[in-house]
Amino acid sequence: MKAVEIKNLQFFYAGNPDPSIIVDSLIIEDGETVLITGRSGGGKSTLVNCITGIIPHINHGDLEGNVEVYGIKVAETPLSKLSSEVGIVLQNPESQVMNYRVEEEVAFGPENLCLTPEEIRSRVREAVEITGISEIQDRETYTLSGGEMQRVAIAAVLSMRPKLLILDEPTSNIDPEGTAQVFEILKQLKEEKTLIIVEHKVERVLPFVDRIIVVDEGKVFLDIKSHELIHHVDKMLEIGIEVPIHFIYARKNGIDSEDLPTIREKLAEINALPPLHARAPDSNILMKASVKVTADNNKQLVNGSIELQKQHILALMGRNGAGKSTFLKGVMGFLETDLKAEVELVLDGKDISREHIIDRGREIAFVPQNFDLTLISKSVETEVAYSIRKRKIKDYKVRVEEMMDMFSLTEFRDRDPLSLSLGQRRRVAMASAIASGVKIIMLDEPTSGQDYFHKEILGRELIRLKENGFSIIIVTHDARFVYKYADRMVVFDHGEKVLEGLPEEVFLKSGKFSVIPPSDYLLRGYNELLIG
Amino acid sequence: MNYLLVNLISWLIFFFGAAFPILIVLRVIGLTGFMKVTRFENYHTFYYNMNPSVKIMLGIVVTVVAALTIWWIGAILTVVVLFTYLTLKNGKSKFITGFFLTMITIIGTTWAFAPYTPYVILQEAFHNTTITGIWTWPSYFTVMGYQKELSIQGLIYGFQISMRFTAISLISLVLVMTSTPSQVLRAINKIGMPVSITFSLVVAMRTIPRIFEYIDTSVKIQYMRGLGSNAPKTIRPFYMLVGAINAIVPVIVFLVRGAKDTAISADTRAFRAYRTRTHMQPVSIGRADKTAIMMSVLAMFVTAMVVIMGFGRAIPYL
Repeated sequence: MKAVEIKNLQFFYAGNPDPSIIVDSLIIEDGETVLITGRSGGGKSTLVNCITGIIPHINHGDLEGNVEVYGIKVAETPLSKLSSEVGIVLQNPESQVMNYRVEEEVAFGPENLCLTPEEIRSRVREAVEITGISEIQDRETYTLSGGEMQRVAIAAVLSMRPKLLILDEPTSNIDPEGTAQVFEILKQLKEEKTLIIVEHKVERVLPFVDRIIVVDEGKVFLDIKSHELIHHVDKMLEIGIEVPIHFIYARKNGIDSEDLPTIREKLAEINALPPLHARAPDSNILMKASVKVTADNNKQLVNGSIELQKQHILALMGRNGAGKSTFLKGVMGFLETDLKAEVELVLDGKDISREHIIDRGREIAFVPQNFDLTLISKSVETEVAYSIRKRKIKDYKVRVEEMMDMFSLTEFRDRDPLSLSLGQRRRVAMASAIASGVKIIMLDEPTSGQDYFHKEILGRELIRLKENGFSIIIVTHDARFVYKYADRMVVFDHGEKVLEGLPEEVFLKSGKFSVIPPSDYLLRGYNELLIG
Repeated sequence: MNYLLVNLISWLIFFFGAAFPILIVLRVIGLTGFMKVTRFENYHTFYYNMNPSVKIMLGIVVTVVAALTIWWIGAILTVVVLFTYLTLKNGKSKFITGFFLTMITIIGTTWAFAPYTPYVILQEAFHNTTITGIWTWPSYFTVMGYQKELSIQGLIYGFQISMRFTAISLISLVLVMTSTPSQVLRAINKIGMPVSITFSLVVAMRTIPRIFEYIDTSVKIQYMRGLGSNAPKTIRPFYMLVGAINAIVPVIVFLVRGAKDTAISADTRAFRAYRTRTHMQPVSIGRADKTAIMMSVLAMFVTAMVVIMGFGRAIPYL
């Protein structure tokens, strides 16, 4: 039976003369598990929206052709009726979850279907069991970790009992532990439902999927069985899609295997293991920070310290709730007033522990995960100039030009920052954060939700900043990014620093703290330090 | 008295009414304090066990009593409602926040009435022709609608008026802090309000605490970027207001971007599939509700009695 059948599909967003997606023919069979991947803006979300009915029922535009889900014409069927056939879990569970209690969230859909209380309870019980959230059923949704929240979002869709489940980057905002939990659910669901997973990170979902569809420039670029991926690595790389690194090396060196240990062994034999990433040499300590935070009920939230060397990139890793963000808030003086905090902050030999946020901001910049909240000016130029003018720095115009040039923003100088693309907005936020001449820049989850292409750009920007004299702290769950770009890393667990050192050293032991080494690292072998 | 000194003190008194409540908001309550009193937390005491419809009814009863009776009954009601905050989750912290919110209301309302109320109204209200002035404003203050003097009667009158609002605002927050939006949705739907309207209320209830959180983040980042860096340290807290105003547009844009996901999430889960909804937990009336209904009936009865006895909202005001 066909779960999805698409014929002659074209969709034009209002005001756009070019179609955002063109698909002549695409069939997904009942019970298949399909990965849809591609660069941001390539058309994969548009394709998925045409399947779920978000297009044309919520996102309007010109739709041509026909999309059917289990024989139902999507364009002619109300969303409420489609919801029993197809369910979607969105990328950001925080904006998807709208109820205060977990149980209410899961019951929301069945309640809309006007089912009997007994039937609603039965569906909630079933969804809660599949997703393993019975222990958090009575919790407030805003107290959940990213992984828990995503499982609740999945449960809320499963309670509608859809035959086809679509997950749009279901793990992009959560830690490896949460990711493992989500994939555990998908493993179960694979037996019962048709699954479409939209994901940038091919490596993560490869073990679960039967088929891979690559969408690029609004078209189906590649449609292959998952075991054929190794033969199409070059094409995937060509359009900027992240593929498992061992596949790349296997292809490059003519090794006919998909198994990582086998590939590593053969690479070692021919002396072709990937090179170690260059790390900045040790330099002077620029900042020493020690933060101890206790909640109202005397529960210790964070008790740790870090040292940041000059012109280094230091990565903070650890599972959700490990204390990384609280630690950063302590460093910046952002903590809530009802928390008891003891902070020691020495920067370039000067104790700034007692200084107000305003004064700490002379030396330290912070770019939050929701960086849009920092964009308060009407044009890119005034946004970048904001801190320079507020701090009354001389020659501010020259400085603004330098910053805009450094972040390739000159051509957008008169545009409203909030109207730019995601990557451009992040660059504006970074430029305006560091413009007044800070020494340290801290970034909270800058890799979250970014595709391979944009993460590479971010990585190069950080390297350039480092070369220009800045020292950087990043909080991230992306082990591959850390392995490639960080000079040192620290792992937090239960509020305490548990590991610190070079990424190569830390990844040896980080698995037990839910920091899983990337395949690049695994390909070099666990004993690479000894070899290297 | 020295002309300059009179002007200085007059302007200080003028600003006290506006600045002191703001200072309490900025220094004591903070944006995170507002977040705590506008967000539901799961707990098991009296208010949490009540049906939201009964809580709404309780709010209406408090409003009626505070509006119809003499001011000190409103004051007693305020104290009673405030003390019930101690039964909430993290009751002590919410009690303190509630106390300061009440202080803000009292100071703000008193200052909004005391200097402006014409003497003829004060004379009628207090059944007394003598007005006791405690401070004489510079003559040009009349341009702002000020009376010639700030009087004790004016201050008392303003304070008494504030007692009409304090209990109401405290009981309204109880509904928000102890009911989930879904419970409120159920309760309001029972009285026949369309689902789409109640849903927007639900989303608002979920969004308000987030607004405080996002504004707080945005303001702190602006501080880091130098907002108020050249101002004297004593004035710095007031820059939070400037920062909060600056944060409005990015916060709204951010919320609107998220709102689309919320709409998709609701519509793809059959929202508005039918004109009504069913509920997993049917609305019921429990012991706590019965107690609250009895207390409300009693309160209405007492109100009627005190109004008959001459303690209604009448002249003289005392």
